[in-house]
Amino acid sequence: MKINIDGKDFEVDPKKRLLQILKEKGFEIPSLCYQEGISIQSRCRLCIVEIEGKLKASCEILPKEGMKIITNSDKVQTARRVNAELLFAEQSKFCSTEHKEHDLCKIISELGVRDRKFDTKKKYKVDLGAAVVRDDNKCVNCGRCVATCAEIQATYAIDFAFRGNKEHVTPYFEHDLNDVACTKCGQCIAACPVGAISEREHLQEVLQVLKDKKKHVVVQTAPSIRASLGEEFGMPPGSLVTGKMVAALRKCGFDKVFDTDLGADMTIMEESAELLKRIEKGGPFPMITTCCPAWILFMEFFYHDLLKNMSSCKSPHEMLGMLTKTYYAKKAKINPKNIIMVSIMPCTAKKFESTRPELKSGVDYVLTTREAAKLIEHFKIDFKKIADEEFDPTLGVSTGAGAIFGASGGVMEAALRNAYETATGKRVSKLEFDQIRGMDGIKHGSIIIKGKEIKFAVANGLWNARKLLEKAKDYHFIEVMACPGGCIGGGGQPLPVNKDILQKRMNAIYQQDAKMKLRVPLENPVVQQIYKELLGNPLSKKSEELLHTKYTKRSKF
Amino acid sequence: MQILKKTNLKALEKAKKLGSEKIIALVSKKGLTGRAGGGFPTGKKWQMVKETPANEKYVICNADEGEPGTFKDRFILENNPETLIEGIMIACFAVNAKKAYIYLRSEYTSLKPKLQKTINEVLKKAKSKLNMEIFSGAGSYVVGEETAIIASIEGKRGQPNLRPPYPTTQGLFNKPTVINNVETLTNIPQLVLFDDWKDLKLHSLSGCVNKPGVYELPIGIKLKDIIKLAEPKNKVKAIYFGCFGGCLPYEQFKEMEMKQENICKQNCALGSSTMIIVDETKSIVDIATNIAKFYEFESCGRCTPCREGTMRILHFLEEISLGKATKEDFETLQELAWVIKETSFCGLGQSSMNHLLSALQYFKKEFEAKLK
Repeated sequence: MKINIDGKDFEVDPKKRLLQILKEKGFEIPSLCYQEGISIQSRCRLCIVEIEGKLKASCEILPKEGMKIITNSDKVQTARRVNAELLFAEQSKFCSTEHKEHDLCKIISELGVRDRKFDTKKKYKVDLGAAVVRDDNKCVNCGRCVATCAEIQATYAIDFAFRGNKEHVTPYFEHDLNDVACTKCGQCIAACPVGAISEREHLQEVLQVLKDKKKHVVVQTAPSIRASLGEEFGMPPGSLVTGKMVAALRKCGFDKVFDTDLGADMTIMEESAELLKRIEKGGPFPMITTCCPAWILFMEFFYHDLLKNMSSCKSPHEMLGMLTKTYYAKKAKINPKNIIMVSIMPCTAKKFESTRPELKSGVDYVLTTREAAKLIEHFKIDFKKIADEEFDPTLGVSTGAGAIFGASGGVMEAALRNAYETATGKRVSKLEFDQIRGMDGIKHGSIIIKGKEIKFAVANGLWNARKLLEKAKDYHFIEVMACPGGCIGGGGQPLPVNKDILQKRMNAIYQQDAKMKLRVPLENPVVQQIYKELLGNPLSKKSEELLHTKYTKRSKF
Repeated sequence: MQILKKTNLKALEKAKKLGSEKIIALVSKKGLTGRAGGGFPTGKKWQMVKETPANEKYVICNADEGEPGTFKDRFILENNPETLIEGIMIACFAVNAKKAYIYLRSEYTSLKPKLQKTINEVLKKAKSKLNMEIFSGAGSYVVGEETAIIASIEGKRGQPNLRPPYPTTQGLFNKPTVINNVETLTNIPQLVLFDDWKDLKLHSLSGCVNKPGVYELPIGIKLKDIIKLAEPKNKVKAIYFGCFGGCLPYEQFKEMEMKQENICKQNCALGSSTMIIVDETKSIVDIATNIAKFYEFESCGRCTPCREGTMRILHFLEEISLGKATKEDFETLQELAWVIKETSFCGLGQSSMNHLLSALQYFKKEFEAKLK
């Protein structure tokens, strides 16, 4: 199909909306409420273009043969400017977005607005959640968070309430996020173009403990952030910055830098033992992974009958936190009370997880990838130039199985590698489980362990998880990560994100695995040593005490 | 009045004998168009729903008569509900729908018990298995818009949604749906049964007149002849076509034939033939402020220009009436009104400035006199 844009003819896909076409063809069209993967909001009215003399929002228009579009007439400019002024005046606080792509302030200055033309009288209470903070005073009602929560995460924690200029986003009955069925996944943060939703920051607290000479401050870094942290410092998506990250954190003043990949290896040891035990006992199936705290909350809110199927393993960073305060404390002869464990995670739900009383968590503070970047910036460290360093070896040796935890399908793949080797004594013939790699929402496959066919399935994004759970009975083992693409697309990751960036981060993670010599947790010498010196065997009494947990039924209302 | 003639289920009988094809052809032939303002040919709408394959189809009778100054649907609901219900039954028969809704605006709740009783009686008398439900609205003006009605019945927020898909292909619960106005559906049995059926339209007349009320008049009658019927109290200054239709100065346009296309040429809309008569004793600025208040209150909040803009418009108009506004404010007001009209998402936002833009076109001096 041919259309004419600003006097030039273009061949276009008739199924795509005009805004998408214009962006692909390199036209700069301001827009706030459009987001790939959710329904069309048509709220902000910034993407106005002129079609045959009439002004139309390009996000809602499908192209027609011979359509003539003007993207920059005076009429268009005026309409965009006035709407931007109205949006600007809606905020009683300035936006603080880290979304480089959709910066309202940038859009406004490009449209020639320098100051607020109208005053605002709106005043809302800031919703200070344990993991996610919502400040309606910055909100411009674009609807992306609401649509993301409903259409991608199937959680429906927030929606619009009231009408007209009193309309605003809120959980039901204007409750706080803490008091409603919110999984804390933080996808709304990634969706928000004005920074009205953000993580609950713990940066200041961490800066305080770093100054405290009496404290031994230890940091651990999640598998996925080494593939994304570089983006915060202007490096291209998919840059693997493990060495720089370790060096920079050490320079920030952390006494030890440990690797959550090792925690992941430990999780796999316990989880694959649990799987083999269930295979022996005949159930309950499917066994469901529990590395993702948003997913755990989702199950605790919405699927009470399947809680018994959840693996009892704590998540990797919680396991490593526990080991730091027991195994490492003993080795280094430090009073565990003086150890402060900081986790750098791609995730906002981990912030909530570390406050769960039943975990007696070994983790004191959780920082997101974005906060970690701010921390490094605070110490004025030139991240791009810093020389690579290695993790501290006491709890810093890991395998490729731990490394791939950051991508959807990674936990499943790692567990299967380890379970196969534990059960048969041999490495699985092909370590790469290609059927559960990649960006698809739901993936599945099967493997024969000791003559028994084990069927497994993987989902990312909670709508996909809901769809998968409808067929849960068909499988023995299910992995779910709440965020699209897995932890690489977590709510605490650098912004913006899109499918292309996620794919690059994912590739980086699998490349890292391919380069490693150790690829099955069973082969990890540190893991072996921990079992020898502290735990005995997987699922032993000591590991049950330190590394396993229970789940609670939570009410939706 | 033709609209009050009862058909006593004889039209339904005749329709069933003719079959759905012929009924739709008859409605098309007689040229019945939507009475809510859009003016879409009713037969064509039915044909589209009939042709869309689906295991279920719905008919919705739009009784969410929210336009200020409009009360003709209420007149029918009070005085001839039997014929309306028969009309709905014929619509269901024509498109093969098993379920019908009457979406009754919340302000008409007092009519509900009688209407429910009439439905039960008519369905019983016709030995019909049709499922007809009265669905009470929650008091929002914008829910008169068809996609918003659908959202409201589905239990969602009563906000308009993106078209296409149109309700005729993907309407209520994603099924093909006929949405017709009360007056349109009441005309159906009458045009089926009576050979002398004429295309008459109900007019709601109110304002500075001695005889406000519902008048049944042929389409295309001259404005002055309509206004004369209502007996104005003083010299008429302007006619408001509800809130959304905008206004016209009476003296200049009194010879105009009241047809949709004539009024559209003046950037106004006839809508459901609502006319609020304003005489020389009233200030256009006050009326504009009052209407702006209405739109500020009724905006659903979906799109920026309507959500934020209507509030700003009200603010400026209040400043003007108080004599506090400057020339710059007045210019901002005009620019804002234009942007709201041009860029709002739905019909409510787009038409919410008609009253102001037409008032500015014909009565600008009244505004300017109040500036600082």
